[in-house]
Amino acid sequence: MTDHPFDGVRIVGVGQTLYEKRSQKPIHRILWEAADLALKSAGLKWRQADGLALTSFVLPPDNVATVAEHFGLEARFLFQGLYGGASGIIGMMHAARAIRDGDAEVVICLAGDAFDVAAHNEMLDRFNGSVRDYLSPYGFGGANGMFALHTRLYMERNGATREDFGRLCVAQRENALRNPNALFKEPLTMDAYLNAREIADPLRLYDCVMPCFGGDCIILASEKVARTLKGPQLRILGGGEYHNFPANDVYSLSAGWEGFSDRMYSRAGIGPKDLHFAQLYDDYPVMEYIQLEGMQISPKGKTHEWLRKTDVTWKGEMPINTGGGQLSAGQAGASGGMIGVVEGVLQLRGEGGERQVKCQRGVVSGYGMVAYGRGLSASAAILERID
Amino acid sequence: MSKPMPRITAVNRPYWEGCNADKLMLQRCTAADCGQYIFYPRVCCPHCGDGDPVWEQVSGRGQVLSYTLVQRPHHESFYAEAPFVFAAVTLEEGPLIYGRIEIDAAEAEGLNGRPVAIVFRDDQLPGQKLPFFRLTA
Ligand SMILES: [Zn+2]
Repeated sequence: MTDHPFDGVRIVGVGQTLYEKRSQKPIHRILWEAADLALKSAGLKWRQADGLALTSFVLPPDNVATVAEHFGLEARFLFQGLYGGASGIIGMMHAARAIRDGDAEVVICLAGDAFDVAAHNEMLDRFNGSVRDYLSPYGFGGANGMFALHTRLYMERNGATREDFGRLCVAQRENALRNPNALFKEPLTMDAYLNAREIADPLRLYDCVMPCFGGDCIILASEKVARTLKGPQLRILGGGEYHNFPANDVYSLSAGWEGFSDRMYSRAGIGPKDLHFAQLYDDYPVMEYIQLEGMQISPKGKTHEWLRKTDVTWKGEMPINTGGGQLSAGQAGASGGMIGVVEGVLQLRGEGGERQVKCQRGVVSGYGMVAYGRGLSASAAILERID
Repeated sequence: MSKPMPRITAVNRPYWEGCNADKLMLQRCTAADCGQYIFYPRVCCPHCGDGDPVWEQVSGRGQVLSYTLVQRPHHESFYAEAPFVFAAVTLEEGPLIYGRIEIDAAEAEGLNGRPVAIVFRDDQLPGQKLPFFRLTA
């Protein structure tokens, strides 16, 4: 195996539906729209695709094979994400390995969901066995309650304040105002953040995502196919996934990234200082802290201090979630695991519009499968534009 | 609207039956080089992989690791009780367990590290007592 496990693979297309609070569109239509936009951006036809990686919470009883049938795809490669918001990147990496090894030529990497708040809560109550049997009977507050505990611990152990988490939320809202697809259209002041409605202290309204309807997609292709295409092309420099890390330690205030980032950087041949942006999984600001630390972008236990002196808006020295992220664009269920990938690909293609970052490469990150007190699955990948 | 019920299974039955008898039952690994306590209930020890955990009654004492005052529960059946304190508790025997703390919302400050003891409440679910915690100091 070479040092670059994703050699010979290109990211050639990207698409995202409008994010909407409510929609009459069936999930299959949302997924189709995101994929159709991505294929068009690549200059590919539906019949050229021979693989599908798909994640969607509301899909059952349908699945990736029945969706392939629905779309009329003859597929040599299928992947269905079972790791919540970590699935998008994991699916992309599996697809890249399949293309590298010659099993497929063009893979649609897709996520989407059709969620309102009630549907989201209902799903979470029976998300998996340990949540259903040992958390739900207490009215644990859903993901808000679960991550309130992590947020409080980070504050107590490291001396972070509510303002320190707010800095991320306010910066991301500034980014979202330049993203026409984002749900939130109004600026967020620190004052409004600090005094918002209490949800599960220390979390208030703007620490929490807004469930919504939407879909996200990128297209991977072999070099052979990519040579026939005209648009900008990216490669995957490196990546990783790690689940249930560290085992049997729910409150380490770390997760898989700490376990795989050294390997990811060494395979990519770069370090955290060489990144031009980070598209993080922002279900809660404290998880962004944990990703930044796990991927060595900010110092362990001191991300709050780092944020006090680092501009993380689209125009700053370390732009984070340049499209607004889930906190300001919306969380379309499993699309939360792809929104950062789509934003990263748009930026590297130079299609960031009013929020364009000057960039050659950046990291995208995913997190998911909320279980006994934490999310179990972490993933990330470094993407780079080929000039 | 009814509250979400735990599923009673072959794996966790001694735990939930223990609650109904006001006893906190945990599994304990029987491997000579492990011997750790286990929660939530499993078919094997998640510390060493051994497959013969046994059930033991334990102290029911522990320490608050972290907590939140839930203002907005995610499930309608809890709206009438909110706000309430939901907490992660480290038991004296080691495992992490979740539950609510019986305390007024106004007193829900600086609870991390405080000692607690388990109580079993029969007013939460039909036919199944549910463990809660009380501050002991
Ligand atoms: Zn053991």
